[in-house]
Amino acid sequence: MKQHSAMKPTNFPLKTITVMAIILSVIGIMTTAFKARVSPGGNPESSKMKRDSLASVQAFMDVYKVLMSPRCMNCHPAGEAPLQGDDSHIHIMNVQRGKDGTGLYSAKCSNCHQPTNVPGEHTPPGNPKWQLPPGDMKMVFQGKTARQLAMQIMDYNQNGHKNKEQLLEHAHDTLVKAAWNMGEGRTPPPLTHEEFVAAWNKWIETGGYAPAE
Amino acid sequence: MTPVSRRAFIRNTGGASIALWLGVSYDSYGGKTPDASLAKNFTPYILVESNGNITIYNTKPEMGQGTFQSIPALIAEEFEVSLDQVIIKQSNGEKELGNAQRAGGSSSIRNNYTDLRKIGASAREVFITAASTKWGVDVASCYAENGKVIHKQSNRKLAYADLLEEASKLELPKEPKLKDPKDFKILGKRIKRPDVALKTNGKAEFGIDAQVPGMLYASVERCPVIGGTLKSFDAGEALKIPGVEKVVETEKIMGRHHSVGVAVIANSYWTALQARKKLKIEWDTKGFETFNSVDFENRLRELAKEEGIIDKNTGAIETLNLPKENIVDAFYETPMAAHHTLEPMNCIAQVKGDQVEIWTSTQVPSSVTGNGANDLHKQIGFSPDNIKLHAKFIGGGLGRRLYIDFIIEAVNIAKQTDKPVKVIWSREDTTEFGPFRPMTFSQLKGGFSDDGKLVAFEHKVISPSYQESMRTDFDKTKVDKTMVEGIGEQAYEIPNIKTSFVRADFHIPVAAWRSVTSSTISFPHECFIDELAYKAKKDPMDFRMELLSKPSDTKRVLQKLREVSSWDKPLPKNKGRGVAQWEFFAGLCAQAVEVTYNEDRSIKVDKVYAVIDLGEVVSPDNVKNQVEGAIVMALGAAIKPGITFDKGVTMQHNFYDNPLIRINEVPEIEVHILAEGGKVKGVGEPGLPPFAPALANAIFAATGKRIRKMPFDIKSV
Amino acid sequence: MITLNVNQKSYKVDVDPNMPLLWVIRDVIGLTGTKYGCGVAQCGACVVHLDGEAVRSCVTKVSRAEGKKIVTIEGLSQHNDHPLQRAWQEIDVPQCGYCHSGQLMSAAVLLRENPNPTDKDIDAAMAGNICRCGTYLRIRKAIHLAAEMQRKGK
Repeated sequence: MKQHSAMKPTNFPLKTITVMAIILSVIGIMTTAFKARVSPGGNPESSKMKRDSLASVQAFMDVYKVLMSPRCMNCHPAGEAPLQGDDSHIHIMNVQRGKDGTGLYSAKCSNCHQPTNVPGEHTPPGNPKWQLPPGDMKMVFQGKTARQLAMQIMDYNQNGHKNKEQLLEHAHDTLVKAAWNMGEGRTPPPLTHEEFVAAWNKWIETGGYAPAE
Repeated sequence: MTPVSRRAFIRNTGGASIALWLGVSYDSYGGKTPDASLAKNFTPYILVESNGNITIYNTKPEMGQGTFQSIPALIAEEFEVSLDQVIIKQSNGEKELGNAQRAGGSSSIRNNYTDLRKIGASAREVFITAASTKWGVDVASCYAENGKVIHKQSNRKLAYADLLEEASKLELPKEPKLKDPKDFKILGKRIKRPDVALKTNGKAEFGIDAQVPGMLYASVERCPVIGGTLKSFDAGEALKIPGVEKVVETEKIMGRHHSVGVAVIANSYWTALQARKKLKIEWDTKGFETFNSVDFENRLRELAKEEGIIDKNTGAIETLNLPKENIVDAFYETPMAAHHTLEPMNCIAQVKGDQVEIWTSTQVPSSVTGNGANDLHKQIGFSPDNIKLHAKFIGGGLGRRLYIDFIIEAVNIAKQTDKPVKVIWSREDTTEFGPFRPMTFSQLKGGFSDDGKLVAFEHKVISPSYQESMRTDFDKTKVDKTMVEGIGEQAYEIPNIKTSFVRADFHIPVAAWRSVTSSTISFPHECFIDELAYKAKKDPMDFRMELLSKPSDTKRVLQKLREVSSWDKPLPKNKGRGVAQWEFFAGLCAQAVEVTYNEDRSIKVDKVYAVIDLGEVVSPDNVKNQVEGAIVMALGAAIKPGITFDKGVTMQHNFYDNPLIRINEVPEIEVHILAEGGKVKGVGEPGLPPFAPALANAIFAATGKRIRKMPFDIKSV
Repeated sequence: MITLNVNQKSYKVDVDPNMPLLWVIRDVIGLTGTKYGCGVAQCGACVVHLDGEAVRSCVTKVSRAEGKKIVTIEGLSQHNDHPLQRAWQEIDVPQCGYCHSGQLMSAAVLLRENPNPTDKDIDAAMAGNICRCGTYLRIRKAIHLAAEMQRKGK
């Protein structure tokens, strides 16, 4: 495997610029991963990328605002319990992630969270896929800096084993989209879904750069 | 309780079967009821039928406190039948059984311990006499066991059921001989509760489960601003929903509080609920729409400066002139609370001409069918003779179901249709409309003599008035004794004690909540005792014991608590231990709480030791269950948000914003029972009042931080 | 018409498909062991098994239950003798009893998936069920006892 200089970010020479104009180590790995996962006969996806670190990082900062909003972060907690509400308090009822992220025993997510929202305020929001990330791939958002979160998402081994295409597609996942339809009384993410998709795509298409700390 | 009737009654129940009724005979109108009419309508405590069935009636509604077992147990013990061989039936407010068919104030056992045993003993003696007559032997040579009379010498046996003819000719003895407690087979033993199996397979029927053929359902929209009145409503949209039958006005009365709501009657509860959302209602909320808890609490703090009305003034506190440095004072605050019975309020009512039939969960069957001035008949304009009640298991009483407002409301709906109507309050309705436990604020002052003795104690309560809320004839110039409950009656020997009450006007209905005012007032009182102990530089237990030089129940209880909680064994540095006790009308309990102060400043409640003093105990395991439950309820009231108002509206609606304790929050609890004779005390409530002050005192011991306001956050101290 | 399979019996019900399963079970089918407590999935009084999972019937549309196996407290066992029911009776767990249909249905899923639950497992499984009477310590004890009965094949 080609050794990128960025594998050791601390050695990176251009520290004076505000944005790290660099393909971060994880991105190196990721692009490698993309290449490795190209189906037979397909084109290496990295060849399509128009690398632009500044635009990429700017796009990610918009993405970050969304991911850190309660509607996304609440199900990407640092601990084993999901979060709840606009204040992201720990989910009542001592709900736990469980091995596969769908809850435990009689406290499985879908026991309360229906395929659709339950009408009214303070009722469980719904989605057919409602769950947390699984125990072996927790995809924590809570407490992550923008840089940490970007690196995590770009890391095939931390992002649910998603390649670039799958990442792009993920913005249209029904559970991701549920963030914008979370039932009465819940503040939506700060961007519309369209704006989010645009920022997400741009971030990834321009190289998936991570902001500096 | 009125004396045991001297007559045993016999009746043909059809066919060849006969039944003997034994029990107390009452006349709801106070006079003597002729036997003939009794024979027709009499509902007994004990019914013995020729087919062998023995039925014992429970006159105290079962709401979890265990009366479905404990009341029959008192009778069965003396009647010499096992609880397995009897059918237990809930009484339904039958007038012949008197007006004491109420469960409240932890009174069921403490008020009836001996009288119910006498009923059982009288019945036993009747059958023994009947058998001895039949056999022509000496009464003294016969005894009863397991529903049979046995002749000692010949070992001949006759079941009660085979002695009905003979027994019916006898009079019940007035003063039967009670059993020696050492011969008890039921009382004081661990006997499984007969209602438990019904509660593990869904067969127990609560009020909300009752089904009446042809029944409709109703849901009521009430003015969200408490005190508001109905101006007008438009039911057009609601009536368009298929299944909606009718939309009507209905009045609810609770004490001096009257309100009118709009009820949607439909063929299912769900439909009624949906249609209710389509109602367009105009309320008049003038005068009530600016009410809020913040201003009201400030008002209470202002009122604390007033003298108040003296409740108790012993000694000569005004003449002491203690130096300032000998005086400690403190101000304590507690919140309002909702009952949160898990079974929401509900009632089925059917009105047919001048007859009313009711199916519900109520703590007070006698108030539903009785002829008292505040009973149901007065509020709905029917004759008490024409009100029939079906009293069901209660999915939590906690004081809420002492009130019949929801029954009045249901009857007023049923009057407007010819079908039975089941009215169900949603959880939100049940939370928002009260009545609520009132808050109490307390101004406390304690004074020491120069030689360090506690010589003066003042407790002024500032609060709304329960009696003013629930009565129409309350005299505002008098102390509401309910609001100063217990504080003048603690056993501590303090030569000068003054207690007083400042009443705050309040338009929100307030009511009894398990252990009533003791549920709030024990907190300032017993925390302040700790503050005085601290001032005196004494261990809080030692300090209390020094105030208890004479023998008393409180002293015994604290001594026992000291022992079982290993009070004198030191705890590690990050742990603390607190004590509190409380004696009031319902009984006496003391508790020691152990807590850990964590590095993140949170408090973990590790263990609670409780000693409850009963005098006599019917069902020890049930007592433990009750005390455990009271502690859990007290923990919730201590650390979870209470009820508040803004713009006249209740700010809490359901368990998401008025949470209750869950299984992962419960500490270890160890309950000890003292049953050493003497005054029989209550079980249901006494476990509650000592907990919050014992917890706050433990937190002080662990952290040095004095908590003077309930609820308090134990996640960050 | 919606066809429901409840406790191995088939019911045809003519109701709004949006009606919560709770009210269909209670008011239409007439099985009242399943309780209404909060209506918003907060208290667990309404728990039934839907294809073996402890769903909250107060927020579950009846349409979701179509074609699935529904078990209510009345169907937890034939003779009130599921290990949990026996343990509940042995320990005299309930007070008022209103929440215990839901408690038992939740505990049954715990015990099926984890025959030897720790206190922590019990906290994870049971914290969704409110008991206002505060019988939690007994619920915990009874689940341990039921697990033991189940292990010993009693």
